[in-house]
Amino acid sequence: MDGKLKIDLDKLPIKRLEAIDEAGNEQFPPDIGYEEKRLNMIRRIDFSQVMERDAKKQKSSKEAVGTQAWPWQSLVENLQLAQQELSIILDLISTVEANDAVTVAGMQRPKQLPHESLSDIAVSAATKLQRLRHLGRYFKQSSKSLEQQVTREARFYGSLIRLQQNWKVKRQRIGLSGPGSESFTIDLLDNSTTDLILSSRSLTLSTVRIDRDPAGILTVQLPSKLCRSLSVEFPGSHSRRKQKGFVKGKMLESGLYPQEGKKEVLTDENVNERVKDSHLILREIHQSIFQEQVFDLVNHESYNPSPGVNVIAMREDRLHLSIGQETSVSLCLLPSIEEESTGRVESNNQAQIRENRISSTDSLGLSAVDENFDSYTRNYLNFPDPVSLEIFLQYLFHDDVFLKSKDRRNDGCNFLGHFCMTIAHRIFSRKVLSLLEGLVEGIPYLHLLSHPTWHSRISSWSLSLKVPQSILRSSRRIKPSGSNDLKSGIRSQFNTKVVVNDDQINVSGEGTPGLVGSLRGDYSDSCSINSYGCDLVDLPVAILHQVANQVIDWLHEEALIVGMKVSRDFLCLYFDLEQGETLGLVANVDAEDTHGCISWWLVFDDGSMEEGKLAAEDVEFRNRRFLGHLSLEALYSTLMDLVGFCGSGGSH
Amino acid sequence: MMGPQNQSTSLQRLNHAEKRIVRVLELAGLVMDELANSTGPRTEVLAGHCREFMKSIKEIQTTLREEIKSACEYRPFENCDYGARISNEICCQKLEYIVEQLDGMNRTINHCKDGT
Repeated sequence: MDGKLKIDLDKLPIKRLEAIDEAGNEQFPPDIGYEEKRLNMIRRIDFSQVMERDAKKQKSSKEAVGTQAWPWQSLVENLQLAQQELSIILDLISTVEANDAVTVAGMQRPKQLPHESLSDIAVSAATKLQRLRHLGRYFKQSSKSLEQQVTREARFYGSLIRLQQNWKVKRQRIGLSGPGSESFTIDLLDNSTTDLILSSRSLTLSTVRIDRDPAGILTVQLPSKLCRSLSVEFPGSHSRRKQKGFVKGKMLESGLYPQEGKKEVLTDENVNERVKDSHLILREIHQSIFQEQVFDLVNHESYNPSPGVNVIAMREDRLHLSIGQETSVSLCLLPSIEEESTGRVESNNQAQIRENRISSTDSLGLSAVDENFDSYTRNYLNFPDPVSLEIFLQYLFHDDVFLKSKDRRNDGCNFLGHFCMTIAHRIFSRKVLSLLEGLVEGIPYLHLLSHPTWHSRISSWSLSLKVPQSILRSSRRIKPSGSNDLKSGIRSQFNTKVVVNDDQINVSGEGTPGLVGSLRGDYSDSCSINSYGCDLVDLPVAILHQVANQVIDWLHEEALIVGMKVSRDFLCLYFDLEQGETLGLVANVDAEDTHGCISWWLVFDDGSMEEGKLAAEDVEFRNRRFLGHLSLEALYSTLMDLVGFCGSGGSH
Repeated sequence: MMGPQNQSTSLQRLNHAEKRIVRVLELAGLVMDELANSTGPRTEVLAGHCREFMKSIKEIQTTLREEIKSACEYRPFENCDYGARISNEICCQKLEYIVEQLDGMNRTINHCKDGT
């Protein structure tokens, strides 16, 4: 070092210009990082003098002790060197520990001994092989887990696709994107009809969550509340509870299996089963929503006054309506109870009998009814079957709202009015039917036929009177043709048609007084003569009169064919005997007669009475003979017997 | 969904591609095992695996490209068939009811036959 001491003063140590080129662009030195600065400062400290002093010390100590040939001297020196190195290392470690950065300037690697290099290679080779094996295992493991995941996902999405063919599936993303973050729901609401009023219950019920279990099987979340279904009840009879709960029972049963701990191999069958079960649950919920909508709409309609609808009581889940004067019906929403799964369709009478046994106190005395006579049970109750009414109500609602075919019904009443009037009509027509059945029981040659009318408020029956083939006609080789053979004008059957329209009874009967030759024209049922309205109480007598009239008609025709001189009245057939005497065959009708409803009298008039009607009830008349309840064959043979008495003038 | 005439639906093709990916991973594992063989890797085995690997990758790639090209946009329900579904449910109920009635009639007839 010189004697001079140079001091450099930097005015501003920041942003000194390093270079500038011709274009005027300035170049600043790059920013020096923190570590660089430290390194520069460390470098500035000159350790060389310290190092020289040490080296001198070592040399002098070595020379000084060289003569003394201490055998541990080299060891001591080595240890001292090692100690110095260790102290440096310790300093280094403490500096690093204090989070200061230290850069190692350079280190020379000690030369390797030969066996060391070989062992190094061996170790690296072994490590590489180890890593490869590890990698191999990793790949295989991930392929297995990927395969499992693929099968799980295939099961789930396969099931989801199958459900999507029938239901609306919606997807929601919750949280970040990733495999577990998508959830699917099924929307059971029908958005195509916007004028439907939806209760809040329907809305909560209409979104069904889809769950995915760890094995990838899709399950549909069961509704937390029981589904409610529509039920029609008549007073005094308990409704049949339909088996809606059997699906839940099955689901709960099969839901136990994954919890058993035993891992069975999941086959396609299991997946199919689950999909079918999910489908059934969805169907059930969908139907329940629809039936709740029906109930809501019925409630709303009942606020509007309309013909035929009389509200007695209204509760949250029950609507009580009165039908006519005597009966009432209630529409309710009942939760479907779970029953043992004895099969899907339980027969009507078994349920009825069970309900009757349960409610034997207020039943109509049905506990002793035999199981097989279910048709008698229904007639005895005199109410139409509630199940059919439930189905009918749903059908009406669906027609009205979804198909919007309101124009079909033009009598001005809404569908609830139509429904109530249908119930009234059905009850009324049952009464009519029981009357007709009673009549037909009493007359063996009268047959009752029901006709479908395809209208819920019109019922139609026909009573047909089958007359025996006459002997004369059968010899003419006439083909027996069912009802009426128009060409030859032969009648083998007389029909009386009874049509009930709401609560109006209309009776129309065939049978005109007239000759064979005048039986022309169209004798189909729509064109019959003698059509008149009737009351329920008058119905039996009216029909009996009609039938008796038809019998008289027939006898009249037969008599004319054999050439007798006869004339007829409404219920009498007069045979003209010689000398002005008249024999009359008189029909007497009595609806309450237990032996038969039409009985016959033979009345002899020797001309002392006025010509005209012979009153069968005339007790003063002496020559009356009661013939009894004759069959048509007996009547015919009686007629033939009388041929001998009254020929057609001259033949006698 | 494709009609039943096609041999495989796109879903089935994608499922097949997934299975191939699994196989590809398996092959990679096998190759690693082979390389880690203590007696040295057998070249023909390696070559076979690698060939299958490359072929599978190519197939996967073509399948995915095809499917992505032909995938259509997800359209939410345009025509809701829930109304028709309810019609069918009502028809089902009608049929069940009629079957019950016919069963009842059958029983009555049998009973009458037995009785007489």
